[in-house]
Amino acid sequence: MNRLTQSMILVLLGGAVLRITTLSTTYLNYVKPGFRPFLIAAGAVVFVLGVIGLIQEWRGSTETEHHHDHGHAPRVAWLLTLPVFAIYLIAPPALGAFSAKSEDAPAQPVAALDAYDTLPAGKVTDMTIGEFIGRAYGDSSKSLSGRQVKLTGFAVPSAKKKDRWYVARIQIACCAADGIALKVAVLDAAMPPENTWVEVTGTWREPKSGKLPVGTVAPELDAISVTGIPQPVEPYE
Amino acid sequence: MSERATVDASEEIPPSEWGRRQPLPSVGPWAFAVVVGLLVIGRLVFAQYLTAPALQAWATIFVAICVQALPFLVFGVLLSAAITAFVPASFWTRALPRRPFLAVPVAGAAGAVLPGCECASVPVASGLMSRGVTPAAALAFLLASPAINPVVIVATVVAFPGQPMMAVARFGASLVVAVLAGWVWLRFGRAEWLRIPARAGGEGSKWRTFQDAMGHDFLHAGGFLVVGGATAATMNVIVPRSWLESVAGVPVLSVLALAALAVILSICSEADAFVAASLTAFSPTAKLAFLVVGPMVDLKLIALQAGTFGRRFAARFIPLTFVLAVIVSMAVGEVLL
Repeated sequence: MNRLTQSMILVLLGGAVLRITTLSTTYLNYVKPGFRPFLIAAGAVVFVLGVIGLIQEWRGSTETEHHHDHGHAPRVAWLLTLPVFAIYLIAPPALGAFSAKSEDAPAQPVAALDAYDTLPAGKVTDMTIGEFIGRAYGDSSKSLSGRQVKLTGFAVPSAKKKDRWYVARIQIACCAADGIALKVAVLDAAMPPENTWVEVTGTWREPKSGKLPVGTVAPELDAISVTGIPQPVEPYE
Repeated sequence: MSERATVDASEEIPPSEWGRRQPLPSVGPWAFAVVVGLLVIGRLVFAQYLTAPALQAWATIFVAICVQALPFLVFGVLLSAAITAFVPASFWTRALPRRPFLAVPVAGAAGAVLPGCECASVPVASGLMSRGVTPAAALAFLLASPAINPVVIVATVVAFPGQPMMAVARFGASLVVAVLAGWVWLRFGRAEWLRIPARAGGEGSKWRTFQDAMGHDFLHAGGFLVVGGATAATMNVIVPRSWLESVAGVPVLSVLALAALAVILSICSEADAFVAASLTAFSPTAKLAFLVVGPMVDLKLIALQAGTFGRRFAARFIPLTFVLAVIVSMAVGEVLL
């Protein structure tokens, strides 16, 4: 692989990264929003490196001979076009029902605290699924009981029970590879088509046995309404 | 040509095209034109068929690993190229203790100052070696820096609220493993197993050296990162997590299971603490093993190390690191957690 090809691969890769970060919000399917400046910087460095290489190659035909020798990169560099192919051809969407289904045991939310604020009565509170699970699992003051909350997520059928379904959201710490599915069972409502995004309003159903066994059963929600919505810009929690 | 003379010190391992001319120098741009053509045609014709959920989940995780690693890789490569181009070799002989036995722990502890994940540390370690730092010391740095830097330690404290000992144990165990691995390599390692990537240097302007080192290292390490990312994404999609849950209660097996999971998932060391915290069924010692093994041995690192230092190196160093990491995690977990 000579310098010309190397530079072209750099331009292609840098361009693809700049495209998903500056021209669209596609990057949110892969990483946390806070990652954007770093991605733009890295994409720009790679892109500029490629462009400089191209310009040097274009102008300096006499110089080319001199630099040809250490201009070689191994063939493995061609593999860097694979992510570019994946981005353009498959256009990978955010992780959804497929990934949430494969782990049926609900994950415990990260950092369950025992210091939640009380929720206002007679009002619907918007809440992340992670917070809902945290309050359901770990809140000794039972701040959820009797309060109406609104959860946003996608619909996932239960792998085991036939009529059961969950409103789920993937929580990521850094990138989609470390995604954990958070799920809340929705009761008294018909399941929308799998993987559609919904807002579910309802109240927490307290488990009969007192405290939930941590990390074994998803908390349950008595639904009042289930509304279909478009996918949020930020697909992960 | 003279600046390439150093390459031939390790003749047997480098890929065949290193330091030689391509038989057909003009084939690259044509192949590139084919790639671009495939991209355009593929987007128009095939994109509508590439919608199977498993394929999409695989592609999402694959792209996520590559995209997430990119800033760290670029940072590591920049730093490595800067070391090669602007820091004189004499600096390192002054900065590190002369005796290799002492240089290993010093280099390991120095890992605490490089905020990055494991993708950044491989090119930096290779840059250090090519600048004359004892390989064992550079390896200790390579293992320690992704696990003990401030960003990772803070992430660990945040992920385990009320369990500050987890971060302490992680820091201690990782540093011990890095230093032990460095010493074992110093005592038993042979020079011919390790391919020290040679750099162009001396001739030409510093900026040109910088630019060449950077382009070469990035393409090289990036290519192997893609191999690792694709493998990790495949494992992530096809290996059911329920296999793991079944061994959660068994003492030694659970530690080995989480150590193996750390290798398979290839999560960035700055995020792995959050994943470890979510594995509630496992003992703290098993979680510690996940946190110690992950930054030192995982699929994308295996690909990166094999690509950078040669397969013969990877085949020896990676099992060594894995075994040390598991044993030290168990010992530290027993004492501290």
